Amino acid sequence: MKNPPFNYHRPASVDEALALLTEHGDEAKVLAGGQSLLPIMALRLGRPEHVIDIGAIDELKSISVGGGITIGAMVRHAEAEKSAEVAEQTPLITAALPYVGHRAIRNRGTVVGSIAHADGAAEMPAVCLAIGATMHIASSTQTRQVAAADFFQGFFTTSIEANELLTAVHFPAQSTSAGSTVVEISRRHSDYAMCGLACMIDAPDGTIVSAALSFFGVASAAVRATEAEAALVGKAPNNETFAAAATIVSNTLAPDDDIHATAAYRRHIAGVLTRRGLAEATSQIGIRA
Amino acid sequence: MTDIPDRQTSGLGFVGQRVKRVEDERFLIGEGQFVADLNPKGVLHAAFLRSPFAHATLNSIDVSTAAALPGVARVFTAAELNAVTNSFPPLFMIEGLYTPLYKCMSEDKVRHIGDPVALVLAESRYIAEDALELIEVEYHELQATGTIDQALAPGREQLWDRADGNILGDISADFGDVATIFADADRVITRTFNCPRQTNQPMETRGSVVIVDPATGHLEIHNTSQAPHFLKWAVAGLLVNDGAFRNLSRFARNKDRRKAFSAAAKAFVSTNKQKLLEQDPAGQKSQMKKDMSFLRAQARMAMGLLASNDYPTVKAGDIGGAFGSKGSVSREDIALAAAARQLGTSVQWIEDRVENLLDGGQAREERFTVSLAVDNDGTLKGMKVDAVLDGGAYASFPVSAAVTVLLWKLYMPGPYDFKAFELNAKIVATNKGKVVPYRGPWANETWMRERMLDVVAKELDISAADIRLKNVIREENMPAAFLTGPTLDETMSVAKTLDRALEMVDFDQLEQDKAAAEARGHRLGLGISSYHEAAPGPPNFFSSAQPGSDMFLHEDGRAEIQADGRIVMYTSQSPHGQSHQTTYKQVAADEFGVAMEDIEIVWGDTDRTQFSFLGTGASRGGPLGAGVMRMTARELRNQVVKVAADMLEAAKEDIEIVNGNIHVVGVPTRGTTYADVAAKVASDQAVSTGPVFKEEMKYEGVGNGGWSVATHIAWVDIDLETGQVEIPRYLVVEDCGPIINPGIVDGQVRGGVAQGIGAVFYERHHYDDNANLLSTTYMDYLIPTAMEIPKIEIEHMETLTKGENDARGVGEGGMIGAPAALTNAVSDALGVDVLEQHLPPYRLLELAGIISS
Repeated sequence: MKNPPFNYHRPASVDEALALLTEHGDEAKVLAGGQSLLPIMALRLGRPEHVIDIGAIDELKSISVGGGITIGAMVRHAEAEKSAEVAEQTPLITAALPYVGHRAIRNRGTVVGSIAHADGAAEMPAVCLAIGATMHIASSTQTRQVAAADFFQGFFTTSIEANELLTAVHFPAQSTSAGSTVVEISRRHSDYAMCGLACMIDAPDGTIVSAALSFFGVASAAVRATEAEAALVGKAPNNETFAAAATIVSNTLAPDDDIHATAAYRRHIAGVLTRRGLAEATSQIGIRA
Repeated sequence: MTDIPDRQTSGLGFVGQRVKRVEDERFLIGEGQFVADLNPKGVLHAAFLRSPFAHATLNSIDVSTAAALPGVARVFTAAELNAVTNSFPPLFMIEGLYTPLYKCMSEDKVRHIGDPVALVLAESRYIAEDALELIEVEYHELQATGTIDQALAPGREQLWDRADGNILGDISADFGDVATIFADADRVITRTFNCPRQTNQPMETRGSVVIVDPATGHLEIHNTSQAPHFLKWAVAGLLVNDGAFRNLSRFARNKDRRKAFSAAAKAFVSTNKQKLLEQDPAGQKSQMKKDMSFLRAQARMAMGLLASNDYPTVKAGDIGGAFGSKGSVSREDIALAAAARQLGTSVQWIEDRVENLLDGGQAREERFTVSLAVDNDGTLKGMKVDAVLDGGAYASFPVSAAVTVLLWKLYMPGPYDFKAFELNAKIVATNKGKVVPYRGPWANETWMRERMLDVVAKELDISAADIRLKNVIREENMPAAFLTGPTLDETMSVAKTLDRALEMVDFDQLEQDKAAAEARGHRLGLGISSYHEAAPGPPNFFSSAQPGSDMFLHEDGRAEIQADGRIVMYTSQSPHGQSHQTTYKQVAADEFGVAMEDIEIVWGDTDRTQFSFLGTGASRGGPLGAGVMRMTARELRNQVVKVAADMLEAAKEDIEIVNGNIHVVGVPTRGTTYADVAAKVASDQAVSTGPVFKEEMKYEGVGNGGWSVATHIAWVDIDLETGQVEIPRYLVVEDCGPIINPGIVDGQVRGGVAQGIGAVFYERHHYDDNANLLSTTYMDYLIPTAMEIPKIEIEHMETLTKGENDARGVGEGGMIGAPAALTNAVSDALGVDVLEQHLPPYRLLELAGIISS
């Protein structure tokens, strides 16, 4: 469990980091909090020749408010978790972060790093899909913005090119008539969820106008339950509506077996979480930090 | 109840107090001295190349590229190390047992994922691991065996040429008139129970640092061993000594040594005569006889031992847990010592967590088909058990899976008055990591028996409490010979703990709580389990398991008072989390009448402590380890009192020692001290250093008892929507005799229960059908954390006997009682027979009929 040799770089600016990425491209990995990359290297499951540590780049360390929240690539989970601005603008993120690993992991790991890692069992990619986050991606020659729905491309795969850096993620503010929450079931406290749900429901006048059901732990990447979402729209936010959505979720998700849970179990609890999550999200409508 | 024996606690009375652990400070501030902290200058770091296949032959191995990597000192192939080491010999003489020989490395065939095939020594572990990737091995994959069913399937590829049908052991025993009892009983109820594999997971992995004396070649081995003396003996015997034959002839010419050896050999043969004669001439049981290499291995090892004027020194410092896994001598330990001797350079191996999960020690993958003969009023009559133990690929040395079977033979009927019992147990070879003792190694006998009692109670429509109360053996019938041999006396007090535990349950409230749980979409259940454990057991316990094995029961101790008055106690125990330092100081301080900090406890160094085959294990640290501390301290105190009485011109009967002040009773102002007495003796003897008082003792325990018992009751609440579990209450009523330190006993009980909770709800060492290990990190082998462990309520009963040093072992019990109490509670909650030990959320919902399996 010792990593293979690598070349270590610690650029002081985004430009410098991008220059390194341009030069080393496919042989490089970006290091932010290291909570996923370093274990992978220690287990020799990954062996980048170059590790580009962005920990010294001050311009990546801020959370900014403006049409929502923008979180820089070096913002630690713990910092976002306790941020009043994040709670005010995007309570779904605040709800999600306590589930991310243990506190020691959140003290080191970064929100954007988790998104770039794109683990299908992680909370933040699902939150991005639920909220409709926008990825700010830069290379030496251009910057571009990518919608979350186009960003996640499957098993640990995103649209970030080898010469690019995910510098920040923008999350639009939650509608004042919406409620949201994260619910998940894991084997132990802080384990990866066997199934989890980031959900949001917007029901301004007792009728659901939009809903997001974003699941993690049930597929190679986070996944929206679009059929169930469509079935919610136009209905009253009550237990009957939620149970109908839950049935659709259980019937449409196609999770796999692993040593922690069978596919049948995952489908079942996806339905349970749909009911629980929607009820809890509904109870959050009108309550803002 | 008998009187409390005279403890001679004329001092401060530490025994029985919740004294804070003296170990804690150094551990909590990071000052513990673990094997990885040693890091001697210039040491080479080891990494083992391990098989990626569960079962394969090795066609070729090429280490040249790896050896050429800068920073690599040497790469040893398995063949090179095997050439200079002996095979691990079988140590147990058990009818029906075949223990295949194996060496420290695998050169022709690998038998599990992680099987070591080469050893790299380099400047750092990083470089060593880089070099591993450069070794080229050509394997030819064989059919792998991942399950008990596969192992027993006809025509399956065999792990061992001579283990037909992959059967390593076929061991039977019966007690009472089984046939008649079963024929006469009202009914016979049968179930099959399965427990999947678990792994002991100490916080500290295995590790060994071998320091070579450049002048003499002498090895000093710092190791995470529970049994340093056994490791010392094993290294001496397993390293081929070129001078063996030369030394042997010298030995043969030495009349005294020759006489001693032949006397020992005669004693062994006479003790095991019956067993030797009973060697079955046909079939499975004679495999060992056919395997002549067994005798050659024994001979080679014996020659190694005889030749070893140069035994290594083994030192065990602080150890971060073991749960039984570090009582084994690892193949890696031997490979490392052999490599150090070959190179003449100090080497170290600090096992990483992946290695530890692969082969640090695994346990408890067992299947039981049990039939109980019962009468309709709930009277238990007879028990028949067909058991299969998945022994993995290599037998752990010295305590192998066979010992578990021997203990099943003694324990299975439990604390109940069965009239007949029959056990047929098989040990099968599979392509998995080695099976080691794990905290209460036999514990599944309690799990399956206590689970079965609930099955029977349900069929007979009586309560789980009543079936136990009706059949438990009570004190008024003691002392009694237990059905399987060992003596039961009043320390087998299960009935008392059962009565008390049931008293602490409000069964009316339970019914209300069950209804309330159901209203929330949950189910609540209660489960009971009781067990008795030899800790250390009556003198005839070990001999009931195997004649002659009571030779391991004694514990040697030594105490000294140095010329400067320091009191030094030497123990052969090898503490690894049990707080020996604290408890032994408590015991000795009371005897000497001094403060705990005035006592120094020395352990783990084979040059300084006395030989012990077992080290720490088998619940002996309290009764025997602390017992010999007390008795040697008392003898030494008497020696000091004699001198002090002369100095004070008083009769020794009139002397008392309070807070280190040695004086005539009632005259504390005219006293002396240990330092003064020691100084006087030193001056009389004209010595300035070293011990002036010294006492050595071989201690065998006392009395017919030595049972440690408990009743556990668990409340389990299951969310029927998610299968998530809560344990709203967990109760243990235990009796380990008079307690030396209640805080430490509580910690032992809680730790054991936590591992039982782990076994049932979290921990499964998961191999697939091709014997690939799936749980290779802590993301997949789930050890419960503080978040998953509820408050555990403990009540102590302290049954005394007429003997002294009445403390009994308590380290294993929590783990023995918990799985049955928990699975019984699940069965009660869901109203179904629970026939497996491991119950993750998905499985609970399958059992509840919520999801399909």
